[in-house]
Amino acid sequence: MNRAAAVLLAVAAAVVLFGQPVFALWAALVALAAAWVLDPPAVRAGLRFGVVLAIVFAACVTAAVVAWAEGPEKGIAIGGMVLLRLLVLTAAAAVIVRNVNVEWILSATARAGFERLGLVFGLALNTLPHLVEVAGDVWTAHVVRNRKPFDHIRRLPGLGVVLLAHTARIADDAAAAASLRGHSALTRPGVLLRSPVRTAVVTGAPSCGKTAAIVRLAEILGERGVPIAGFVQIGVLEEEIRVGFNVRDLLSRDEAGLARLAGRKGGEFGTRFVFSEEGFALGRTALERAAPGCVVLVDELGPVELRGGGHMPAVERAMSVPGLAGAVIVVRRSLVPSLLATLDATDAVVLDIENLGDSAAEEVLAALAL
Amino acid sequence: MRDVRPWTYAALFGTLWGALEATLGTAVYLGRVPLRGTLMGIVGLLCLICLRRLQPRPGVCLLAGAVAIFLKIFTLGGFYPGPIIGIAVQSLMVEIAMTGLGGGAVAAAVGGFATLATNPLQKLGMMWLVAGPEAVSASFDLLEESVSALGFPGVRAVVIFWTVVVATGTAGAVGGLWAWWVSGRVALRIGAQE
Repeated sequence: MNRAAAVLLAVAAAVVLFGQPVFALWAALVALAAAWVLDPPAVRAGLRFGVVLAIVFAACVTAAVVAWAEGPEKGIAIGGMVLLRLLVLTAAAAVIVRNVNVEWILSATARAGFERLGLVFGLALNTLPHLVEVAGDVWTAHVVRNRKPFDHIRRLPGLGVVLLAHTARIADDAAAAASLRGHSALTRPGVLLRSPVRTAVVTGAPSCGKTAAIVRLAEILGERGVPIAGFVQIGVLEEEIRVGFNVRDLLSRDEAGLARLAGRKGGEFGTRFVFSEEGFALGRTALERAAPGCVVLVDELGPVELRGGGHMPAVERAMSVPGLAGAVIVVRRSLVPSLLATLDATDAVVLDIENLGDSAAEEVLAALAL
Repeated sequence: MRDVRPWTYAALFGTLWGALEATLGTAVYLGRVPLRGTLMGIVGLLCLICLRRLQPRPGVCLLAGAVAIFLKIFTLGGFYPGPIIGIAVQSLMVEIAMTGLGGGAVAAAVGGFATLATNPLQKLGMMWLVAGPEAVSASFDLLEESVSALGFPGVRAVVIFWTVVVATGTAGAVGGLWAWWVSGRVALRIGAQE
């Protein structure tokens, strides 16, 4: 019944917008009467006294302006059309919105094959209360810190920065949660890194000691007689500014240049760096030593690898060796969700080592249960 | 790369935009605050340009616009065609500018200009659709008479209208550059450029 009212009003809206005045009048009257019979609560909600008064006022103003410019007859005709159009459009909007709810939208997107869009809408609805709560907290902090009215306005950009940064962090958390739950509907098909052994994903803030922890871990494993295969990437500094990376084989300690800042010409693979085949070759050689009983150490996988390039083919080959004792993959924090989406592991643990200090290597060892 | 972040970022920034439209937007529209369209336009620009700077993937702005419309309709905002058309046009304009011009500061300024310049055009379009061409023509005549009565005889309504379009567009371009600067600070804050 309600759907019939919505269809009638939608057809009437099209006629009153684009049809001749006589047809528009009849279409509007029939549709409004039908809607009143078929869905009276929606029509009552849409055409409240205040709304009808505003519509009549708008029509009268239009009629007066047109009458002043082109004569009273034209003014009355145009004013009448405006009245009809606004009445029909308002009633149509009220009936359609009453018949379309969130569940209908979500099931319609799923039926139409837009499952991801439905999930995005669902995520928006789920995170809305959290976001509103965060916005309230940010506003309270802004008011408390800026007592003077002028400061309120002057520091509004700062308020925007904090609110937007919080929003981005919630988005990162949602992405990580989706990846950890194996939610694949939002992801695109890409590389898949199979890992049949326990895998430690090591992360942390830039320069927090991730590479040092992997070097120390390699030493501890060597002391215990556990074979290793892998490499670390060491930052190259010039006047305290990072200008590139070298690759170092953890077993042979051979070192080769991997990446250097590109300068004005722009980098490769969408990064700021140009890459050297020599560095990738050394990475391949280091990983080719992977054998049963050995621990694979990869420091680190970046955006290039997560797109399937760089070290990734060599890492995939190393991880496919049967009987490995474990694997350690270093990745920057912002790429953890992407790595988890890429990783097809039976047993994985994420370890943020920023606050672990000298005990980071032992913690990684414990996570590997070795 | 199997990265879900463009989707979650679009969902969250669209949610933020929709929540601001439904709360702040409804308040400024009901309170008849002057320049409310420009104000809400800049709020939208801030959300869209920040999203595009953090997740430079084509289509994220359109997706955020869809989320904002969804929330605007199904929360406090209700079904008001003006702001909904405004959100759709704004997300489309920013998407076209940021995708077509490489996503830098210039693209943000052009996106801002296009977004706010379409506000008066959008109002004119709605007037033409609901009241018809005669009412638009009569409004222009009334505008010319009013300007003449204020001491500027001979100024054509079309010139006044396009002046308003360019002025709001310029405010949008400045808003776009400001949004680009703010989004740079956001990127630094969350370590997106590490």
